[in-house]
Amino acid sequence: MALISVSGLRKSYGPREILHGIDLRVEEGQIVGIVGPNGAGKTTTVECIGGLRRRDGGTVDVAGIDPADGDPALRRILGMQLQQCRLPAKITAAEALDLFGAFYPQPRPTGELLERFGLTAQRDRRFEQLSGGQQQRLSVALALIGRPRIAILDELTTGLDPAARRDIWTYLDRLTAEGTTILLVTHSMEEAQHLCDRVTIIDDGRVVAEGTPDALAQQGGDQLTSFVPDPTVPLDLLRDLPGVRTVTEEQGRVQVHGDAASPQTVLTTLIAHGITAGQLRVTGPSLDDAYLRATDPTPGSPTREARR
Amino acid sequence: MRATTALFTNELRLLGRTPAVVIWTVIIPLTALVVMCAIPAARQPQAPFGGVSVVEAYQPVLVVFAMTLLALQVMPMTLGQYRELGFLRRLRTTPASPRQLLTAVLLLAFAVTIAVGVLMGVYPLFFGLGSATRLAWLVAALVPCSAAFLAVGAMLAAVIPNSRVASGVGAALAAVMWFSAGMWFPRAQFPDWLARIADWTPGGAAATALSQALLGGPFSWQPLVCLLVWTAGCFVVALCTFRWE
Repeated sequence: MALISVSGLRKSYGPREILHGIDLRVEEGQIVGIVGPNGAGKTTTVECIGGLRRRDGGTVDVAGIDPADGDPALRRILGMQLQQCRLPAKITAAEALDLFGAFYPQPRPTGELLERFGLTAQRDRRFEQLSGGQQQRLSVALALIGRPRIAILDELTTGLDPAARRDIWTYLDRLTAEGTTILLVTHSMEEAQHLCDRVTIIDDGRVVAEGTPDALAQQGGDQLTSFVPDPTVPLDLLRDLPGVRTVTEEQGRVQVHGDAASPQTVLTTLIAHGITAGQLRVTGPSLDDAYLRATDPTPGSPTREARR
Repeated sequence: MRATTALFTNELRLLGRTPAVVIWTVIIPLTALVVMCAIPAARQPQAPFGGVSVVEAYQPVLVVFAMTLLALQVMPMTLGQYRELGFLRRLRTTPASPRQLLTAVLLLAFAVTIAVGVLMGVYPLFFGLGSATRLAWLVAALVPCSAAFLAVGAMLAAVIPNSRVASGVGAALAAVMWFSAGMWFPRAQFPDWLARIADWTPGGAAATALSQALLGGPFSWQPLVCLLVWTAGCFVVALCTFRWE
């Protein structure tokens, strides 16, 4: 049984439909990422799941609760960190945590969260005096203070330096190990690849791809095999191999795009012809490629065609 | 309840960190009264003030001044800013509701205005002005006054989305209230038509209610009815139109 299940979610602002039927499932204990370009409807989707916006169609179920009902139980099990939500300027970091802690029956201790999010030195600093990254970390800490079963984090690590980002990732890994389920909205493929059990790519209000980061990456494209041949190789020899799609040569370096088996085939052929592959590099498809393919705005790309 | 208490404590602390507000709504009105009380001539009855002393004529005006600054300018500004910051929205994601924050903000403003009003009633006693037995009446009059001003302030915060515009309109309304309360021109000198209009503004009604509480004399229900009507009317508009985002 999925902890969060969304099907056919539709939402319009005025006459413009933003979400055209989103499906999403999040199993207990998973981290699921929602990625997609600006304006794709990621934030609207999580706002409908979090009960901050009324949907116009479809069903949403969060741990047996329909967020549209306004059931107060939802607020006790769901922590949300939203984009562009600021705190009063003169509240200090520790006071903000104490204040939000008072809303829950068993909050995490303020000291633990300050330490975990690297804010111990800033505990008495006012919100207006915190750096952007510190405000962001405080905001994430506030979403987690009530020990939520589910955390929705929107643009979690935007504006954080790489070290702070790693720290937060480590903490989230620990949280999921303890059983917290996390729904993550992100722009960063690196973050999705690192953290997420499953990734849903949304573009233009529709789900365009869904799967584990590795599986998505595999769909994302070709293996790239590149090398400097010695002696030179006739390119047509490689072009005719099974599984090879394109072969190009640039400044002596040959690049072969092909399917998952293509690197093996290319190398075997080179060896059979007594050709050495110098400076050999084999690059697998990345989630970045999958993302770019799935959200490619050029007409004629496979996903656009399939949608029509 | 615990959440509302925490929000109230937090608002109180934040108010303490905003010196400008404390100075204008607490220290300046109190200082003005202290200075007036210290001038012997201001303690003598004066004909232009309808036979009361300057202190007695201005005591209600200063209470109205302090109350309106907090209720019409500071409070709509605070609420508007909380909306603009997304703080109200953020509260919606927690078990505490933004309504509880609204309650905390209103309760704090209410408590501060009443406290300032009481201080201003107590202080002249040290100069042999007024009477301690009237203090209960004063508190009874302060409650509907504060409620009416807060209702007008809440309505401003609700119908004007921009916090600075709301606060600016509040400042203009406050000046009207001060005039109707007799700040620039003693109420005893108002021509009939002006007195009749002023009596039905929250500022004028508040000044009358406070005067009759402090000085005794003939009692009229009119100012209390007027304040009640403003309170009810403005709160209804505020509740129907307030936007959380």
